[in-house]
Amino acid sequence: MLSRTVPRCAARPTALLRPLRPHGAPVRPARCSIDRSRRGYASEAAEKDLVIIGGGVAGYVAAIKAGQSGLSVACIEKRGMLGGTCLNVGCIPSKSLLNNSHLYHQILHDTKQRGIEVGEVKLNLEQMMKAKETSVSGLTKGIEFLFKKNNVEYIKGTGAFADEHTINVNLIDGGETSVKAKNIIIATGSEATPFPGMTIDEEKIITSTGAIALKQVPKKMVVIGGGIIGLEMGSVWSRLGAEVTVVEFLGQIGGPGMDAEIAKQAQKLLGKQGMKFKLNTKVKSGEESGEAFKINVEAAKGGKEEAIDADVVLVAIGRRPYTAGLGLENIGIETDDKGRLVIDQEYRTKLPHIRVIGDCTFGPMLAHKAEEEAVAAVEFITKNYGHVNYGAIPSVMYTHPEVAWVGQNEQEVKASGVKYKVGTFPFSANSRAKTNLDTEGMVKFIADAETDRILGIHIIGPNAGEMIAEGTLALEYGASTEDVGRTSHAHPTLSEAFKEAAMATYGKAIHY
Amino acid sequence: MASIASVCRTSSRGIGRQLRNHASSRAFTASAASPAAHNFTMPAMSPTMTEGNISSWKVKEGDKFSAGDVLLEIETDKAQMDVEAQDDGQMAKIMQGDGSKAVKVGARIGVLADSGDDLSTLEIPPEDSAPSKSEESSKPPPPEKKESSPSPPKQDSAPSKPSPSSSGASGTPQKQNYPLYPSVQHLLHTNGLSKSDADTIPATGPNGRLLKGDVLAHLGHINKSAPADVSSRITKLSHLDLSNIKLAAPKEKPKEEKAAADGKKEKAAKKSPEVKNVALPIRLTAVLECQKRLQDTLGVTLPLSEFIARAVDLANEELPRTKGPATADELFDSLVGVKNVYTSSGKTSRGGFVPEINTPGLLAAAPMKAKQSGKEDIMDVLAGGKTKKVASTRATKNSMATAMAENVFSVNAKSGEEKRARVFLERVKSVLEVEPGRLVL
Repeated sequence: MLSRTVPRCAARPTALLRPLRPHGAPVRPARCSIDRSRRGYASEAAEKDLVIIGGGVAGYVAAIKAGQSGLSVACIEKRGMLGGTCLNVGCIPSKSLLNNSHLYHQILHDTKQRGIEVGEVKLNLEQMMKAKETSVSGLTKGIEFLFKKNNVEYIKGTGAFADEHTINVNLIDGGETSVKAKNIIIATGSEATPFPGMTIDEEKIITSTGAIALKQVPKKMVVIGGGIIGLEMGSVWSRLGAEVTVVEFLGQIGGPGMDAEIAKQAQKLLGKQGMKFKLNTKVKSGEESGEAFKINVEAAKGGKEEAIDADVVLVAIGRRPYTAGLGLENIGIETDDKGRLVIDQEYRTKLPHIRVIGDCTFGPMLAHKAEEEAVAAVEFITKNYGHVNYGAIPSVMYTHPEVAWVGQNEQEVKASGVKYKVGTFPFSANSRAKTNLDTEGMVKFIADAETDRILGIHIIGPNAGEMIAEGTLALEYGASTEDVGRTSHAHPTLSEAFKEAAMATYGKAIHY
Repeated sequence: MASIASVCRTSSRGIGRQLRNHASSRAFTASAASPAAHNFTMPAMSPTMTEGNISSWKVKEGDKFSAGDVLLEIETDKAQMDVEAQDDGQMAKIMQGDGSKAVKVGARIGVLADSGDDLSTLEIPPEDSAPSKSEESSKPPPPEKKESSPSPPKQDSAPSKPSPSSSGASGTPQKQNYPLYPSVQHLLHTNGLSKSDADTIPATGPNGRLLKGDVLAHLGHINKSAPADVSSRITKLSHLDLSNIKLAAPKEKPKEEKAAADGKKEKAAKKSPEVKNVALPIRLTAVLECQKRLQDTLGVTLPLSEFIARAVDLANEELPRTKGPATADELFDSLVGVKNVYTSSGKTSRGGFVPEINTPGLLAAAPMKAKQSGKEDIMDVLAGGKTKKVASTRATKNSMATAMAENVFSVNAKSGEEKRARVFLERVKSVLEVEPGRLVL
């Protein structure tokens, strides 16, 4: 059993198939060995500085950043389209539907009082979906272009770890290949958490993915989970005519990050638009009855059961890290009890050349958080230092009115035992909101009682998502509410409400 | 067979040598390459800083610290500052003790190790290259020191008396290079302080920026420690909370797999259970004859491995495509642009098989062989670990007898690939048994 492996000679078929010499011609073993060594170097060059698994927001940003930093980089994406959940079935398409359904809703219910009378208003859902697809495909193609521009190799396929430095890729077009890399970034993202006992078919029982692609407006829709995704998608179909009921286990909508006062106001405003809420309510089971479903619910703290009818059930109880088929067991990378890949502050796994960013690891599952991590992770590779300030990552809910916040909310500050002060300003006292006839909502500042340093900013109201950028910047710079209050804001704009809320925190607002 | 073995030995020796060189060079080069311990140099706390005094170390030798912990306090002509750890680790050695004066930026002041390292066995790296050149322009150092290279031991032995302590737990004053915040400007003016006073107020903001709270504390309007308290709370929030991670319970592995957990080879084999071994006996007689002919007529010895390698190469050409083989060659081709593999879906593709060669008849002949070769122990060869120790220059003739026997060529094929593997082996066989001469001519 003289066990050994023959050294693999060639890599290039052209070199191998050189013309056979006529009999008797001199043999030149020397040349052969040169050939071999050269080939050896050549195949070594195939090792990339960085390979990224996942072409979502985390992955593609890391790939572009790495390309810009001069690394040889490849990005593996199995969807066949870059941009991941966010671009293809998440943030982007949902925003298209939210914007257009809002326009539709406004024409139906709002423009008359503004002096615009529209004849028959008809919904063309197919066209609305087409508009959405145009936005999505434009954006994903844009990323492919950026890949080319920044010398990122785009491998369409499913990657799995063969060993610590090698990733086998099952190509979409058939066949298989493998890539070797000095550094690897895992950015495989997340998937919707399924509801136990319900099989998701994306037509009747849907996640956010199905919710952006329904063929017709359902008559009755039940949304399980009153977080941001549930409320946004619920809003879309409610505006288009569905009767939407949101069932939430907790005592407030918007998820645990939203300020309780703001959440209450959001619930009131969404309720006015026709959405129904069942808080502190547990979904027990769902049964199919013909075309429709019966969703059985009961009060979370025990109570009588109740059944809600639905044509479509949207399961929006959260998302979970997606790492299936990645071959993590081949390299021994650990996950925690929620499936998140375990990392350190520099995103390294226990194999330091493998880093993890985005939804498949810790922190809020937000596209912009993933983006920040992508840049920081690449900078850790190239410059040995990167930075993400997790204390200043904004969250936005794109309902109408929008809800946006950054920093801590009031319940968190209260729980930490810190003395704090709160200042608010309603949009009903803001000139621009008045002229827009869009006056619902408010801005709320939370600041340290002694130093006046801003701890959190919460906005519900028109354009809250854009306005929170200023709050994030203030937080990043350690500003006090007085700093914001003493900064000029254009008149008449909604942002004046922001300034006045700051003034109300350290002193008094002028217009309220 | 021995000729194959000898080639193997030479090549493995070569690789072994390379590896050794690599390892040794790693051990002796500057600390930057060494993952274990690295020099901790005097940091530049501001762009203009060229030297500083060490007020006090906040960690002792052997102390562990985590990212963000204060390691030491540095005093410059402008301010007193805390130096925070960038990473988790432990203090291996302190080179410049408390009270060291006028330490150049870039000079080694200590050695840091990873938190898991054993300090007793840790190799202290040599000092990095001389401190940055900016020091040349700095003011003359104290008389007992030389201009270019500070000598750590000397300073170690003579720690001066402790420097004036910092102003409590709050932040350190810093020259405010940026426009002051509106609130700060307002407070300064209304309280009769000047812009230069701002540089003396301890600042707790990001990057040493002066905040409203800092001025309020300075004026005594609020608790002195309030700004630092807020600052430390906010700093804590700015990091990803990785505390209390509950690791997922490892998945239950099949029992056989656990049993095989000793020995890496076995482990590796178990990890890909769907791999099948396809084997084919091939006579190398023709090859050996051809080799001998070459030697007789041309005086050139072409190693057996060369024949086999070339045959393997040829046989890997245009194998029937299956969904599966991880071919580095395909990747290579795509990289050099020979053909676009990602889109090509022809019926054939280049294989990446590397056969393993076993001689079934060899076991019986082993004792005799061992005698012949003197020092070589066939068991070592079989174990696969010690082959590099064996002498390398063995005439190919000696192994004629073994090579005459049928050698079993085998390849590991993934499920679904067996057919492809068989085609490959049959091609190797036909090339080697029928016309080996064509491989070299």
